[in-house]
Amino acid sequence: MQREFWGRPVRAMVYTWRALALGTLIGCCLQAADAQVDVVKGKRSFGVSGFGGDASIAGQVADVLKNDLRLSGYFTIAPASSAEFVQSGTVRGDHSGVVVECVVMQQVTKRVVLSKAYQGSAQDLRRVVHKLTDDIVQTLASQRGIAQTKVAFVWAHNGVKELAVMDYDGYNVRQLTYDKSISVRPKWSPDGRKIVYTSYKNLFPDVLEVDLYTGQRLRLASYPGLNTGAAFSPDGLSIALTLSKTGNPELYTMNAQGGGLHQLTHTRGGESSPTWSPDGRSITYVSDDSGAPQIWTMNKDGGAASRLTVSPSYNTEPDWSRPLANADTKPMLAVTSRVGGKFQIGLYESSSGAVRPVAADGADNEDPSWAPDGRHLVFTKMQHWRAQLYLLDVVTGEQVQLPAIEGGASEPAWGP
Amino acid sequence: MRKKFLAQIILVGVVTTFGLTGCHHGAGGGAGAKTGASGPGSESPVSPLGAGGEGGVGERPVGLNAGSLEHGQFPAVLFDYDSARIRPSEDSKLAAVAAYMKSNPGKLVVEGHCDERGTAEYNRALGERRALAARDELVKLGVDTSRMSTISYGKERPADMGHDEGSWSKNRRCEFVVVNQ
Repeated sequence: MQREFWGRPVRAMVYTWRALALGTLIGCCLQAADAQVDVVKGKRSFGVSGFGGDASIAGQVADVLKNDLRLSGYFTIAPASSAEFVQSGTVRGDHSGVVVECVVMQQVTKRVVLSKAYQGSAQDLRRVVHKLTDDIVQTLASQRGIAQTKVAFVWAHNGVKELAVMDYDGYNVRQLTYDKSISVRPKWSPDGRKIVYTSYKNLFPDVLEVDLYTGQRLRLASYPGLNTGAAFSPDGLSIALTLSKTGNPELYTMNAQGGGLHQLTHTRGGESSPTWSPDGRSITYVSDDSGAPQIWTMNKDGGAASRLTVSPSYNTEPDWSRPLANADTKPMLAVTSRVGGKFQIGLYESSSGAVRPVAADGADNEDPSWAPDGRHLVFTKMQHWRAQLYLLDVVTGEQVQLPAIEGGASEPAWGP
Repeated sequence: MRKKFLAQIILVGVVTTFGLTGCHHGAGGGAGAKTGASGPGSESPVSPLGAGGEGGVGERPVGLNAGSLEHGQFPAVLFDYDSARIRPSEDSKLAAVAAYMKSNPGKLVVEGHCDERGTAEYNRALGERRALAARDELVKLGVDTSRMSTISYGKERPADMGHDEGSWSKNRRCEFVVVNQ
């Protein structure tokens, strides 16, 4: 079966697990030696002058690179004549593979800041360019890029909901479940190998896990009532989730194999949507025990709960940013708030207990999920009751719609 | 500014998408290891449960699927927005369900549903609270807890496809399905 490479993803969805061989780019990637640049805040102008060589793919390589650089948040694409940095390069390709060579120069100093070649199979051309982009981001912005990351989401079509995984830019969509049922709320393991989710395949909502490398599925929780909201701890050893087996939705933890169940909350209200703090010590969640839903937090082993959000009056779906290599980036908590009957994305501010809106535009924006860079969110935007996925750069406030998914896409989860 | 750049051309080896043919791994695991490779409709096996599945109240009926459930025997119990409280106006509906269950065999599946506003996961929890509230009322009316199980569909299964309060008020509901087994 041929993998469709350039077309719109869903229509060309190919049912193969090969595509889920994530992270197959290997090999050493030495940094361009002494490629020091003065990194400044804000965006820098970047000119993509294109690639020589095989004209049939050179244009596509340039287009992917431009899109990647825009989505990174660190660059504006400018005419090569006026840009601070300018790229040049060549592409060679045949049926066995492609080689992309790229040189990036700082025009004022005439200094070459990056010069590398990348080799891959023809089918992996986008992935090769994503790798190049992340090297450019690392070199010029000293940040980890997101161009090689994946997003899992819920694909609604033909009256059912299936899980799917795609590249962060919305391409290479691969279907993950074929249950013709309701499969929802995917969450990644920290190593990117597994996804836990809620499945109605056996009628009742259960927590399942799928191994992306083998396709093996495990049923991790199927207690009476609701089993949902599973979320891996940052070390991958534990899972927090919501169960209602005692007669009310409460929070629990269990080990990654589904054993060692431990009840965290005992309230009259409903608890749901746990997210682990980046240090793995506490679990933040939604509770409406005090009336309208708000964000609460407690030690991962249980104990006293403390309320985080004070306003607005309705907050759900918390998502903590990931543990970051950069110590200067502090953990952030994204939530979905309801304000004036509309749903919007905001960031919790611990000093005031308020939520600062970052995606409040009149649409219903829901279910934020952090990228590993701690700068971008993917979220669901509901317009005219149709759900599609958007990226948000919380530094600039810019939103980008991902390629539309036929039928609808929701509940995104950004992979590691 | 230093200019001593050392051009390094590194060929980054890309392992072509390695053939994750799970089908070769799973000889003992049944057909399911093929999963995606065999296309739509295939299913992977589900392992036996560890601890999950024991404990709690309300034993689940087995072998059911969504298509086998017959809705509409009883009128839906309706709820206020963002609420799982049983309204006094719905008491007679629950009394009819309880009367039926006390004089007939079978098990009861109590479905909780929500309108389309709000996040999917919050509505899953809210739908479960509605189903549990209805179930608790039926227990008070004399139906044995062990004969009932709950399913929250959240906002996945609206009864009315409209997008206004007239539709939403019909979708915030519990439905009751009798299962004879």
